[in-house]
Amino acid sequence: MKRTFYLEKDKCKGCTNCMRKCPTEAIRIVEGKAKINDDKCINCGECIRVCPYNAYNAISDKIEDLKKFKYNIAIPSTTVYGQFSLGTQICKIHNALVGLGFDYVYDESWAAELVTKAIKDKVSEDINARPMISSNCPAIVRLIKIKYKSLLENIIEIEAPMEIAARLSLERVLRNNKDLEKKDIGIFYISPCPAKILSVKEPMDKKDSYINRVISLKEIYGDMIRELKMHSESCFSNPSLTGLKWAISGGQTEACDFENSISVSGLENVLDILEEIELGKLDHIDFIEALSCNGGCVGGTYNFENPFVANSNIKHILKKTDKGLLLNDDVEKYTELKSKGYFASKIIDKFEEDRKPNIKEAVEKIDKIEQIYDKLPKLDCGSCGAPTCRALAEDIVNGTDTIDSCVILKLEGN
Amino acid sequence: MKKIKNYVYKIQKNDFTNAGKVSSEIKRTLKKIGFNNIVIRKIAVISYESEMNIVIHSEGGLIELGIYEDKITLFIKDNGPGIEDIELAMTEGYSTASSKVRELGFGAGMGLPNIKNCSDKFEITSDTNGTIVRSTIFLE
Repeated sequence: MKRTFYLEKDKCKGCTNCMRKCPTEAIRIVEGKAKINDDKCINCGECIRVCPYNAYNAISDKIEDLKKFKYNIAIPSTTVYGQFSLGTQICKIHNALVGLGFDYVYDESWAAELVTKAIKDKVSEDINARPMISSNCPAIVRLIKIKYKSLLENIIEIEAPMEIAARLSLERVLRNNKDLEKKDIGIFYISPCPAKILSVKEPMDKKDSYINRVISLKEIYGDMIRELKMHSESCFSNPSLTGLKWAISGGQTEACDFENSISVSGLENVLDILEEIELGKLDHIDFIEALSCNGGCVGGTYNFENPFVANSNIKHILKKTDKGLLLNDDVEKYTELKSKGYFASKIIDKFEEDRKPNIKEAVEKIDKIEQIYDKLPKLDCGSCGAPTCRALAEDIVNGTDTIDSCVILKLEGN
Repeated sequence: MKKIKNYVYKIQKNDFTNAGKVSSEIKRTLKKIGFNNIVIRKIAVISYESEMNIVIHSEGGLIELGIYEDKITLFIKDNGPGIEDIELAMTEGYSTASSKVRELGFGAGMGLPNIKNCSDKFEITSDTNGTIVRSTIFLE
């Protein structure tokens, strides 16, 4: 699997909105319908977000999959806590998940706190690589793999909080339920975006995810709201405040507290920063938190609540939660987990990038593209089905399109 | 070995609106050709520092990018006023940039030393007519 959403062709009008927004120019309009090049798609979800006709649908597991396991664990993304009305207690959200059939809820924020420590260690151990880029947003890691290969070595190779949460919750459940085996247990992640769904279905480090099923938040939001209303009893569960910050832009940076760091969110802004890093302008920065969605993970396409409202909800929790309260004791086990290699991850295959170019051929190709580009109107109107005139020129040289596609040239009588 | 391609980019004095665009363009071209990460990073730094030097310190100038089978060359030339003391200019941390320029985040005095560090071969000459830097990166 390379993509965790699909186009409902009947709904697509070929309007070019998604094509223009796509950060890797992976979309073309072919015969009046959007067509995604999976090799270029980073699963950021921008196309899903901007489609005026809701033609894109998530590929998500279903709540019915709970039946496939004897025992089910839910790991709600930290963003989930920002999706309900102000003041909704976290434990009530957990109870709602139990009401829906989960046997145990493990808070992603606990794992995020652990990963925060791992990032701090990694950045201070590896003093030669600057700036180091957080790998938490899988869309950004894929973007770097496709468009900014020279920055691959700047990526912090560390296991994602959701994977740590899955592993620790599994161990905990097995410890407490001697009659259960690993195969009896289903670990479900509730995801705010297609990028994280893909990280479960097709992990970048090529080993299997610890998560068995992944459900988009929108998929079970209705069930959760209805269930939430049925639980009025008071309850008790504590997030890690350090970890919970990860839901919003700037949160990782604040949690890690490096001397020089940048937190950037929204793809266009991230592209600008990556460009600056490649020019060597940010070598004095220790850490960069780069998140694909505006406002951070609360801006993920599969969230229900407006990202700014969700941000406010999360901040309310951060403010109102007693910092002294006891967390899950896994959070105390950082040193032990680190020595056991829990945080190690191999996201980047450095050798796959090392190849020798045929310079002459490549230069000739660039010349051809330039020649064709010169003839085009440079309006970037998108009517041809490519996002820019330059993209069309490239398509023509690659043999996937012809200059006849240019509507403007046709009107001018060429 | 014969030059496969020569790209010329003109750079205007004091043009902070476009400053950085030439180096981005050079970087994009090298990526399209498919050079490896190390080569791209080195050239990106050299061209960016050179471009900023021309914008900030000179009367304008140009960068020529030369592509060969076995090397990449950068020929950087400006129209003066020249560097008074090259040795001093090559010292890390030395800068003649005005405080206005420093406020913009430039002028830390790392430009020329950075260019030299990233180059496999580096030559600089300067007189009142201008400064010429020749930088070469060898391809393995």
